[in-house]
Amino acid sequence: MTAVRFSLNGEAAEVDVEPRELLLDTLRDRLAMRGAHAGCEQGACGACTVHLDGSGVRSCLLFTVQVGGAEVRTIEGVGSPGALHPIQQALSEHHGLQCGFCTPGMVLTALELFETDPHPTRERIEEWMSGNLCRCTGYVNIVAALEAVAGEGS
Amino acid sequence: MSVLAPPEAPPRTGTRTRRREDTRLLCGEGEYLGDVQRPDLKHVAILRSPLAHARIRDVDVSGAMTLPGVIGVFTGAELAVETGEFSHHLPMIPTLRQITWSVLATDKVRFVGEPVAAVVADSRYIAEDALELIEVDYEELPAVSDAEAGLEAEAPLLYEDWGDNVFLYMPGAHGDVEAAFANADGVLQERFTHHRISGLPMEGHGALGEFDPASGRLEMYVSTQVPHTLRTVISDITGLSEARVRVVAPDMGGGFGNKAHFMREEVLVAVLAMRVRHPVVWQQDRTENLLSGLHSREQSHEVEVAYRDDGRVLGLRADFVVDVGSPELYILGCAPAIVTTSVVPNCYDLADYAFEMRCVATNKCPMGGYRGYGQPQGIFLMERVLDLVGERLGIDPVTMRRLNMIPDEPRPYVTATGAVLDTGSFGEQLTELLEAAGYDAACEAREVARSQGRLVGVGIAQMVEPTAPNIHALAGRFGGYEMAMLTVQPDGRVNVAVGTKSQGQGHETIFAKVAAEVLGISPDDVEVTDGDTAALPYGTGTWGSRSAVMGGGAVIKAARQVRDKMAAIAAGMLEAPPDQIETADGFFRLGEAAIPFGQIAAAAYLHTFLLPPGMDPGLSVVVGYDPGNTSPFPDERGKLNVAATYSTAAAAAVVEVTEATGVVTVHDLTIVHDCGTVIDNVILDGQIHGAVAQAVGQTFFEEICYDENGQPQTSTLLDYMIPTFGDAVRPRIVHRETPSELLGGFRGAGEGAIIVTPAVLAAAVHDAVAPLGVAITQSNLSPPRLRALLRGRPAG
Repeated sequence: MTAVRFSLNGEAAEVDVEPRELLLDTLRDRLAMRGAHAGCEQGACGACTVHLDGSGVRSCLLFTVQVGGAEVRTIEGVGSPGALHPIQQALSEHHGLQCGFCTPGMVLTALELFETDPHPTRERIEEWMSGNLCRCTGYVNIVAALEAVAGEGS
Repeated sequence: MSVLAPPEAPPRTGTRTRRREDTRLLCGEGEYLGDVQRPDLKHVAILRSPLAHARIRDVDVSGAMTLPGVIGVFTGAELAVETGEFSHHLPMIPTLRQITWSVLATDKVRFVGEPVAAVVADSRYIAEDALELIEVDYEELPAVSDAEAGLEAEAPLLYEDWGDNVFLYMPGAHGDVEAAFANADGVLQERFTHHRISGLPMEGHGALGEFDPASGRLEMYVSTQVPHTLRTVISDITGLSEARVRVVAPDMGGGFGNKAHFMREEVLVAVLAMRVRHPVVWQQDRTENLLSGLHSREQSHEVEVAYRDDGRVLGLRADFVVDVGSPELYILGCAPAIVTTSVVPNCYDLADYAFEMRCVATNKCPMGGYRGYGQPQGIFLMERVLDLVGERLGIDPVTMRRLNMIPDEPRPYVTATGAVLDTGSFGEQLTELLEAAGYDAACEAREVARSQGRLVGVGIAQMVEPTAPNIHALAGRFGGYEMAMLTVQPDGRVNVAVGTKSQGQGHETIFAKVAAEVLGISPDDVEVTDGDTAALPYGTGTWGSRSAVMGGGAVIKAARQVRDKMAAIAAGMLEAPPDQIETADGFFRLGEAAIPFGQIAAAAYLHTFLLPPGMDPGLSVVVGYDPGNTSPFPDERGKLNVAATYSTAAAAAVVEVTEATGVVTVHDLTIVHDCGTVIDNVILDGQIHGAVAQAVGQTFFEEICYDENGQPQTSTLLDYMIPTFGDAVRPRIVHRETPSELLGGFRGAGEGAIIVTPAVLAAAVHDAVAPLGVAITQSNLSPPRLRALLRGRPAG
């Protein structure tokens, strides 16, 4: 077992894990951050997306021992039921989620985009988001929500 | 009596409210199967067959048993000793092979991915380690890799005692097909093919089971669309009374019909929970999902069409060959194909129709239900036939449809296969489509594009869809009814429990609106529970575009009963006859006098001396709702009205084909859609967006592939491609609202767009490539498949 210390949503976290343990499993099973979802465990769908030092990563493709000393941000560190992030607010207003399984990953991927480019075009949104799969919405209303955020971004 | 200022009027159906599911899902606080926590939870991993077809000589689990952290290792033979078997419950179909099967394979494996052994361990990691220590001695057998091969005389046999591989043979004859062909001016012969795909919910199947030996009770959490009927199946196989089994379907990451079957693994988890006396969980990973989580659609159709030179289609003969994979699946994998045969006449006046169907067992993943459920293939057939006959005769697609369309009168209209159509006008719907799509202008633009050498095509298609069907003929039981429980609490807040199960369709939001409208209160005061067998005696689940129709109808029925009782209480308090009491805006009113909803609720529980003499206290009802207009079985002529009501749609598409690559760009897609009374426009449009995307996926992206040995070639999302951002098609949607005669006026809504869109895309691509002499007769128009078609085109 290996002790790993990192920052999780701004707070110190320490876990003792086997070297083979995936970050996704550590977050869900040891740290009760269950908003990251296992959609494919092959890095293809993006449902497990979290931020590592500000960049979106696939937590199903990272070993926990790789994130020592890093800052990890999950959906639980983005907004809360009483204080939705503008991206979350827009997704709800535009009906950009149905089953919601892919949604936390969508929010985190979009968050990185808006942190670097507050006013992306539709083409840029679609290109940026294309590594996140959704089976319910046909993407139409997710794009509409993110375009609304882009229009309102400061 | 104080009369408070009335609250704001509650939203009417058809208007938009923010979904109440959204907040928890957006914040990562949903509770999907993998989020359900239990102390001391153990993890299940399943050893699956690496071979398509083999006899199991021996399974040696001794090595796996010794691995630290392993609780138990179980083989099919071991579990079969005290565990019941699955069957299809259809002894009434004499041409269906009667089989039984166990939670794990016992003597033979019939597809790659079939469950052979199960490990329970402290973690999924350890459980998967243990799988590698199980040694199975297989005697490999030659595999049947597709239906045509399975029909050959020397084909390997999945079940030796059958003598062939035909799982179901089903003939049908309606009208006088011989006479139709005798009267024909011409006959079209064509072959249509449909490829194998997967519904692919983002969350796979999964189950968690916890057994309490002291009480003998089993609690199951399952990612299922059908919790109550699954409880019945778990009871069948475990031998536990249904009174001691609770099934809860938590938040679901999609289902799309894949989760409307009863999976072996779901019952396996129940059996394991009873054996190991720890709570246990199994979550299907993506490779398991693609190997064994159900496939759909694969069929081929040989058709002969008798037509007159004026464009009238007189009769149709079809020979359906269906690849159902391994047949060990309840509800049976032939069910969608049976639906295919029944919907072929579509919205056309085709009385003379005969078919034969052979559902062939092959060494592939079981075929099962997926959104559309056999209808996309049947509608594709009829819509392609009209275009191809029209092409021969020089009659345009619009005229072909008008010539053959079911007339506006009478309603209901009974089709050749016995469907009792209660729809609106197909002709008006088509007219509305042509206007909304700008059809004439699109055809003119196509001519301009063609003159520039571009392959632009315009297509139209229509469909009528049985919704809220009776499943009895396909499952041997369960019917098509629904139940609901509605309780007004002493504080005036309302609990509704339904037997349907949302997988993302927003049922918490829409059923609150439906109940609130009847009760005259705000939807914010209504809490909805679905997917819990402890909350409601029974339910039939969510599938077949039935939730709004049947669940909504049940909620309306329950709400009316409670409202009527509350009105009677109010009448007593106001000393007036109950029928003079009006319900609106949170009050029961008689003229100027008004009693708040909550005050009546309090009277029913807390101040029962206010109740009329003889009235029981409390405000709670459980209702069963069955419109009574469907049949459990076909009649002696093979006719069956399966659906409580019918939805319709018409679609137009403009596409452009890039000849060098085979890539199709969808320039425009218009859908005119009639699902009766609309509960929530935004949720409804979301259903159509999603169904269109799935249809685009199945047409241009997705294909489950096997090699000639039955080895799967598409076992990850890196080789099974679904659409992503940028592939999205934004349909233009027009709603016609022809209310049904059922409670609420609803018709089903979740599937229409996936039924009509493959047909309209094929029509448009056909139109685009027609100048090259290529005909589109297949569902798979992915770039490599379309390139192959274009390159193999006849010279000239």
